Amino acid sequence: MLRVVKRETGPVPALEPADEQALIARCRAHERAAHDEFYHRFRRQVAGNLYRVLGDRTDLEDLVQEVFVIAFRGLERFRGDARLSTWIYRICVNVALGKIRTRKRRPAAYGVADLDAAAIDPSLVERPETPERSLQRREDRERVYVALEQLAPKKRIVLYLHEIEGLDLKQIAYLVDSNAVTVRTRLFYARREFYKLLGAPPPSDDHTTEPA
Amino acid sequence: MELLAGRARPTERRKLELHAARCPACAATRDRIARASASFPTLRATSAPELPWDSIRARVHWAVSSGKRASDRSMPTRTWRPWLAIGLAGAATAGAVALIASRTGTPPAMVATTAGAPAVVDAGVAIVAPRPLAPAPLVGLVSRVGGDVMIDGLRGDVFDRRLVAGDVIATGEGRIDIQFGDASAIQLAPRSTLELRRFDAQHVELVVEGIVDIEVGPRAADQRFIVHAGTRDVEVRGTQFRVAHDGASTTVACRHGVVAVREHAAITSAIEVRGAHRVTVPIAKPVGEVPIVALTTDELETLVAATPYTLPVWSDASTLARESAPLELRGTRDLRVDGIEHGVAPVRVRVMPGRHTIEAADREGRFRRLGFVDITPGAVATYTVPALVTLPPTRDLAEAVRQRREQLRVGIDRVRLARCTRAITKSGVAAGSVEVELSVDATGAVGFLNIDSDLPATTAACVRNVLVDVSFGPGATATWRERIDL
Repeated sequence: MLRVVKRETGPVPALEPADEQALIARCRAHERAAHDEFYHRFRRQVAGNLYRVLGDRTDLEDLVQEVFVIAFRGLERFRGDARLSTWIYRICVNVALGKIRTRKRRPAAYGVADLDAAAIDPSLVERPETPERSLQRREDRERVYVALEQLAPKKRIVLYLHEIEGLDLKQIAYLVDSNAVTVRTRLFYARREFYKLLGAPPPSDDHTTEPA
Repeated sequence: MELLAGRARPTERRKLELHAARCPACAATRDRIARASASFPTLRATSAPELPWDSIRARVHWAVSSGKRASDRSMPTRTWRPWLAIGLAGAATAGAVALIASRTGTPPAMVATTAGAPAVVDAGVAIVAPRPLAPAPLVGLVSRVGGDVMIDGLRGDVFDRRLVAGDVIATGEGRIDIQFGDASAIQLAPRSTLELRRFDAQHVELVVEGIVDIEVGPRAADQRFIVHAGTRDVEVRGTQFRVAHDGASTTVACRHGVVAVREHAAITSAIEVRGAHRVTVPIAKPVGEVPIVALTTDELETLVAATPYTLPVWSDASTLARESAPLELRGTRDLRVDGIEHGVAPVRVRVMPGRHTIEAADREGRFRRLGFVDITPGAVATYTVPALVTLPPTRDLAEAVRQRREQLRVGIDRVRLARCTRAITKSGVAAGSVEVELSVDATGAVGFLNIDSDLPATTAACVRNVLVDVSFGPGATATWRERIDL
């Protein structure tokens, strides 16, 4: 039989800076194989970033496509002042921000936080997990995304990158194309709002008294 | 909020805990925040869901390449203006020279314009040499399609698409056959992408990712046919071959004819792969350093099975699309139309008008005739292939044979049988009987039919046809011998 084309599904090892430069150069020369390698290398990172920022997979395919189209068209202007993965993360953040803004203008009929339980890293899930615990975990995640959804887009992104992704102010400033002081201010107000929303009892809850 | 988020200093935390002990609402709020905060690491570790990666890649490629094509198209417009100015200047010069010549009586002369295009000045009339005609574009016609196939990022009804230069075809769990000339066609295997970079009478340039099978009929002497697979080019001489390319290597297997494989844009160091041979070039190795090996029987069979489907005639895509018709085959079995295998249904095949025989494979992979379908030009014909019937095995073999014998006895067309023996009867030879050995499976398909007879060959063949056409319904599997009186 002819050789079967084996398709890799696991994580792709990170590129060395020299290899990264070579890949960029080949992409700039419109080499199809380089485009494919680029896509293959970053597709899961892009999808994961978008998925986590937005909390649902609606339009995820379109958004992944959009990120790669922007990346391929923008590679000419990539100055190399950050790692390629960081630069792509920045595009993801911008695309997600655009999506959040659109969603705010036209509220969707679907809920947020449909993060698939199967997509969670199994090593982080306690075993054996009871159905109640699983439901609880799902509700907690939903509450996080419901609270995020109520923040202004810029605040939401900053808060997400800091609190959930654990990035520092400088990194966030690069990703959102701002400066660290602005990010810090935005984060202060975002946090205040976010934790207030998180602490608020859910609509079905009987508690009516708010803490002083 | 810092306190609620669990980032309080020890003294503040103690104060909060004391307060919470007295205030159930505050304790509940603290617990809600703590629980939600505890889910952050899990959220951070959430991996990407599985997406149709190949489909997205095809769409990305389409978007990027269409943008590039658009910019490429706009380039001549930008560069045309200086040439126009030079051309006009040249024409003006020629006109002036002609005018002076006519006044001074100087004989006509050959003048070359500054643009380099020769112009003949004859009695004041400048005749610009005609530009070479652009090669005629090729148009591909979808001859067969099955499963998930996308053209230019769109799924829709790809069967009616005409394929031209610039089109990108991508397959998910599907395949597509495209005919573009007499006995010339392409078959794109599942999970592959093909770009028709150039597609005209002089140049065919394809870019493949995945597996493509190509059959090329005799070409014009000046036509070039190249398949780009990563950093390798495969140049075609007139043949059937397969190119399989992924990120790691490129495999070129040739069924017949010859193809040349070389590094992209290299003139030298090409290797020639002849019929029934293949070469696998890893991405890190130069083309010349890998051996060409003979295809095994299995590999050759795979190539034969992957022969792109072509219609028996070819005029041009539009005419043929009008004169042919799609045949929609539904079901879940391997199918054959007029003896040509089309793989597992559902599949849509382009056929010429007329009657077409449909066959489907049984469990053993043998094709059995199911019936026929009449095709009229332009109308979509549909044929639903019945599923294989699964019946429990019959314990009583004698009973099974009895049932099948009865079905044979009832099913024989005696009139046709008499017609078969009429000739020998007229000549005074008694037809007598034939001994047959017959096997019928659970679906009622005839497995084998051996006729033991000393009848003339034509008569025996006629009798055999009559017996083959006996319709056995679903039932028990049986094999038996029988004497049939003629």
